[in-house]
Amino acid sequence: MFIAGANSPIKNTDYRLVLPFYAYAALSFLVATLLMMCDVGAFTQHHFNPKTLAITHTMALGWGTMMILGASHQLFPVLIEGKLHSNFLAYLSFIFGAIGIPMLVYAFYSFDFGVIAKSGAILINLAVISYLLNLTISIVKSKKHNVHAISAFTAVIWLLVTTFVGLLLVYNFQAPIFSEASVHYLSLHAHLGIIGWFLLMIIGVGARLIPMFLISKYENKKTLWQIYWLINGGLISFILIFIYGANPLVSLIPVALIGVAVLLFGHFIYKAYQKRIRKAVDEQVKTSMLSVALISVPLVIIIGIILIFSTLGHQQFIMLYGFTIFFGWITAIILGMTFKTLPFIVWNKVYHNIAGLGKTPNPKELFKNNIFIANIISYILGFVILSFGIIKVNIIALNIGAVLLLVNAFLYNLNVFIILFHKSRLK
Amino acid sequence: MEKIDVNSKIGKIIKANPDALEAIVSIDPKLEKLRNPILRKILANRTSIAMASKMVGRSVDEFFAKLKPLGFEIDAEIAPVEIEQKEIPAFVSQITKDQIIDFDVRELLTSGQDPLSLILEKVKTVQAGQALKIINTFEPIPLVKMLEKKGFEVYIDKIADDYIETYFYKPNDTIDTIKEELETTDSNGWGALITRFKDKLVKVDVREMEMPKPMHTILGELEDLPKDKALFVYHKRIPVFLLPELAEQGFEYRIQDISDGEVHLLIYKD
Repeated sequence: MFIAGANSPIKNTDYRLVLPFYAYAALSFLVATLLMMCDVGAFTQHHFNPKTLAITHTMALGWGTMMILGASHQLFPVLIEGKLHSNFLAYLSFIFGAIGIPMLVYAFYSFDFGVIAKSGAILINLAVISYLLNLTISIVKSKKHNVHAISAFTAVIWLLVTTFVGLLLVYNFQAPIFSEASVHYLSLHAHLGIIGWFLLMIIGVGARLIPMFLISKYENKKTLWQIYWLINGGLISFILIFIYGANPLVSLIPVALIGVAVLLFGHFIYKAYQKRIRKAVDEQVKTSMLSVALISVPLVIIIGIILIFSTLGHQQFIMLYGFTIFFGWITAIILGMTFKTLPFIVWNKVYHNIAGLGKTPNPKELFKNNIFIANIISYILGFVILSFGIIKVNIIALNIGAVLLLVNAFLYNLNVFIILFHKSRLK
Repeated sequence: MEKIDVNSKIGKIIKANPDALEAIVSIDPKLEKLRNPILRKILANRTSIAMASKMVGRSVDEFFAKLKPLGFEIDAEIAPVEIEQKEIPAFVSQITKDQIIDFDVRELLTSGQDPLSLILEKVKTVQAGQALKIINTFEPIPLVKMLEKKGFEVYIDKIADDYIETYFYKPNDTIDTIKEELETTDSNGWGALITRFKDKLVKVDVREMEMPKPMHTILGELEDLPKDKALFVYHKRIPVFLLPELAEQGFEYRIQDISDGEVHLLIYKD
């Protein structure tokens, strides 16, 4: 009986694989807000400028992607009821990413697309390939497939497409690969990442996690599959329209498909919320729900506005669009989910061996809730004020917003490192 | 394949390949005690190949030779983390006979019982300036490490291959938190609680359930749990997300991490 579990298919991923991703992402968030505060003027220019590109890639890769990679190394085995195939590939994925991302960001910042930019882009692609390979083998071995795992897996394929297109775009700066300049393909590259990677991944995993945190018995596989096909259909139609062109009405098809998907997801979460067992919802889940709200309502509106305004060449709305996605939706879900995952991983690391010896602290006690609250307040204020600054091209608002977001990132890092350095204490 | 070196823990090796148990036991009859699941749990997870080879007086190469055919990849380059045989500490020469508390655990060991909780019980009674003498058939290295951390000075006297005396001396300046810590640890510990709820356990097995059913099942069981009873859960992992919920509902819990894929939980109300 004591070794019955030795051959069990279930295995927790080693925390040593996961924690570096969290630390790296937290620091990237701090760097991104620092870069932003140093020169808010970037927000008043065309979005294709060195600083905006550097900040966007720090956010998309260093913050969003590294965080999701880390968390999913932990969560994926749970989703597929199996175990992670290889620790080595997981380490590789971290190392390639950790080296490649700063290289690329530096290259953008100095607007030099030479060796550093190319090597950075190649390393990032290698990181994604290591991860995809690891995931694919894990899935094949586990034989348990469900809509959550398939969504996450498809999302990683889109991530690879995104980073590969990104790599080609970097080369395209110096030697033409495409018929047009790289800036022309920016929206394709960005949406592959935003919709294919982030939206699909977050919906796929969120549809499992949010009901779980609410302790809800609500399940609806059919809706989730519909969402899956709507998002993929929307993205593929977007790519086709991008390549072959279409009249403005047809180009609304992807927006409509993805909009419906987002509404369905919002409805799904609402249902789960209604059927929850846990009546009191904690702040972390509330923040994550805020994130759901942040995609479901404004994004649909903003996408509509963007389409109208971007054709009229209204730069500020494109800037706001990108800002809402990276600093609004993606950041909100990470801020909330960090404290629903990281304390538990660290708790497991510190206490799993000694949890029988005495009373252990609650995983929620591993971070400071008052810091978390201050973190969220500075985040929401900063986000709203900076958004206002972008629309009104108001430097004062931009500066205040940027400082608040920096404070938010600092508080976030503080809490993350408090958790990471937690020492055991038995009561 | 699993990579091992002299510092690899026996417990981890057996976990990686259950056949390794027989292979290791065949090295020396003294290792027979690994067959006992409780001893295996307490000793094997804290004992490396280097420690075990020292305990039974066999070379590490004999261990490697037995493990290699099972597919373990041996890294012979790595040196053992030195558990240096310190020079005889000062207390040994100063201590008088009436300051030593003797405790012979050899019989307990041969009968397959876990002496750890009894040893810890004894440790609590040790006053500053006294020493506990454990008589054992092997060097109790895990215990040494544990008590060293708590401020004890240790001296191991290897009288014969299977007769070893280990002295744990409590210096005068040791803070009394040691005692407190051990006390709470013990009365709050898994063993004590299992005894307390001996005939009042409601058992539930959620190992085969798909997520998130285990959590729902456990919470459901707790709703119907009589006040004086405890819920004993067989789980495949530590259900970390359940823990805040338990705290919220005023439940206490203890967890035994048996192995990968095997976790026991005890949930109760005080």
